[in-house]
Amino acid sequence: MIEIQDLAKAFALSKNNKLSDTEKQDVRYSKDAFHSVRNVSFSCGSGEVLGLLGPNGAGKTTTLRMLSTALKPDAGSVLLNGVDVLKQPVKARQQIGFLSADTGLYGKLTAYENIAYFGRLHGMRETQLKQRIDELFTLLNMHDFANRRADNMSTGMKQKTAIARAVVHSPKVVILDEPTTGLDIMTVQTVLDFIKGLKAAGTPVIFSTHHLDEVASLCDRVVVIDKGISAFSGDIHQFKALSNNADLREAFLSVLKGQVITQQQGAA
Amino acid sequence: MWQVYFKELTELMRDKKTLIFVILLPIFIFPVIFGVMGLVLSSTTNKAMQEEHRYVLVNAELAPQFADALFYHKNFKQIASDKSTEAELVAAIRNDEIDVAIIIPADFADKRSSAEQAQWQIIYNQSSQFDFMYRYFSELLTSFNEQLQRETLTKLNVDQAKLAAIIKPVDVKKVDTADKRENIGEKFGAVIAYILIPLCLLGASYPAIDMGAGEKERGTLETLLICPISRVSIVLGKFLTVLTTGLVGALITVGSFGIWGAIIGSFAGMAVVQEAMSAIAITELVLIFSLLLPISAVFAALLLAISIYARTFKEAQNYISPLTIMIFLPLVAAMMPGVELNSKTALVPIMNVALAIKELIKGTADYMMLALIFGSTLLLAAVAIGFCVHWFQQEKVLFR
Repeated sequence: MIEIQDLAKAFALSKNNKLSDTEKQDVRYSKDAFHSVRNVSFSCGSGEVLGLLGPNGAGKTTTLRMLSTALKPDAGSVLLNGVDVLKQPVKARQQIGFLSADTGLYGKLTAYENIAYFGRLHGMRETQLKQRIDELFTLLNMHDFANRRADNMSTGMKQKTAIARAVVHSPKVVILDEPTTGLDIMTVQTVLDFIKGLKAAGTPVIFSTHHLDEVASLCDRVVVIDKGISAFSGDIHQFKALSNNADLREAFLSVLKGQVITQQQGAA
Repeated sequence: MWQVYFKELTELMRDKKTLIFVILLPIFIFPVIFGVMGLVLSSTTNKAMQEEHRYVLVNAELAPQFADALFYHKNFKQIASDKSTEAELVAAIRNDEIDVAIIIPADFADKRSSAEQAQWQIIYNQSSQFDFMYRYFSELLTSFNEQLQRETLTKLNVDQAKLAAIIKPVDVKKVDTADKRENIGEKFGAVIAYILIPLCLLGASYPAIDMGAGEKERGTLETLLICPISRVSIVLGKFLTVLTTGLVGALITVGSFGIWGAIIGSFAGMAVVQEAMSAIAITELVLIFSLLLPISAVFAALLLAISIYARTFKEAQNYISPLTIMIFLPLVAAMMPGVELNSKTALVPIMNVALAIKELIKGTADYMMLALIFGSTLLLAAVAIGFCVHWFQQEKVLFR
């Protein structure tokens, strides 16, 4: 279970920084700070997949970074299966499987070594690690490039390796930042099937995406972040209802246009 | 921490740039310095010593013995010329017709007979790097002067046995208390430090950039930060890797310096260097390495802190360049004549290590002073590491 309440994060602006006219109009900019996330709240239960939507620069990545403990929130709380990420960051990290927007692999290490490194950092024993990596290689169809260095991998291979690395320690919570961006259809399908597998295993999954078809086929819940606030938070049916079940693009745009202004906390 | 350390080390071992900077460069830099530069210097000197200087001697008939000595000297070649004034001779030198002109004044004989001092003129281009020509000329003139003195004194019926004492009442015999090693150490000790210390920095630079800014650029840092290990462990693992590469570079450099110094000295006509090198004991090489250890730790911590701050590899390189220049300032100061190791200079970072290396090579090191340098540099390293750890925990640094 992931519970996020009133999350906020601001970044100090340089004293020499002069705001452009567009930035002056943006409510997130104050004199000396950029309020990347102003108020985000949502939750995701066991076996649920939550799609995090929003335009570029809306605050999705900052939200995910706070969830993953990479950034400390200025306000609000994040509970992962009851563990407060602010009070017990190391314990929270043990539960998290995080895939950043960059594949984030070490180029000079092979697929196996990249995954094993993170497994060891999570305290996995060698025999357990070997078994788990073998399992992931089969699940993600990675045996062919197990010993290939990341520098020599295709985008799809890198993404599979990055996903395997994110879940090598069998995390209780999985956070994926745009996991299908730039991938070919076959690899996208593998990734989506993998997420379905996590869902089936009862793992809560949060993933940010711009692909609404993926949201339609995978998600139980949807959160739309716009200008640092969760402009919509509800289940997929509520989201679809915003456009009278027409299409999700319309629902998404209606949220951004401000037609939906209340947060659907009741449904959370 | 050790997981981070071994992983970073594995990556570095597979990186060609690291292998070049940490292993190949230190191995081959000393053959280049001792060998190539030594050979170039010795061949240039030999060439300058054997060079033939075209000359014109005006009024040669007034000093026939000097004219003969000049004529038969292997480094002088007489050129037939009717030029006799200063202006004409200067023009001839500028037009590369001759190299040197000596003007014996027309009243030379009269001045001699009236026991007056005559003034000769030598005209040549003094901008040459090696002024061997003037040295040869001075030797001939000294000998000619002595000859004239003898003739004059003989005419005055001075006792022949006392002539030497009258002509040169005081003679000096030099007794050098410095052995060859001390001499070599004085001349080259600071130069060796000038090479060793920047190599420690150079060896650590690339890995440091790769482990800080490189991680940011590749997007791996974020993933690393959310692993269930403390940021202190991450930074210490990285620091130890940078330190290891800096030290491996220094170790190879010191070894290369010892081995190549001894080998090349023998066949490059630098037997004195070989002799001095063989006098440096393993203990001294170990002490040199020990002094490089804390200074490498300072470099590793500073480089890592800079690298972590930078957003990109290129930005880190830009920040590190001034640091590289800055470390040369104390090194240059250590090379200045008259700068000695004392209780004050022993506390100036980098300069103290350079001066201590010089003393160790000379064989005149004061071990108490070495301990002071080691201690003060170690303290500086601890502060630098502390800063690096603190820096690595700042969000504004990690997510700029």
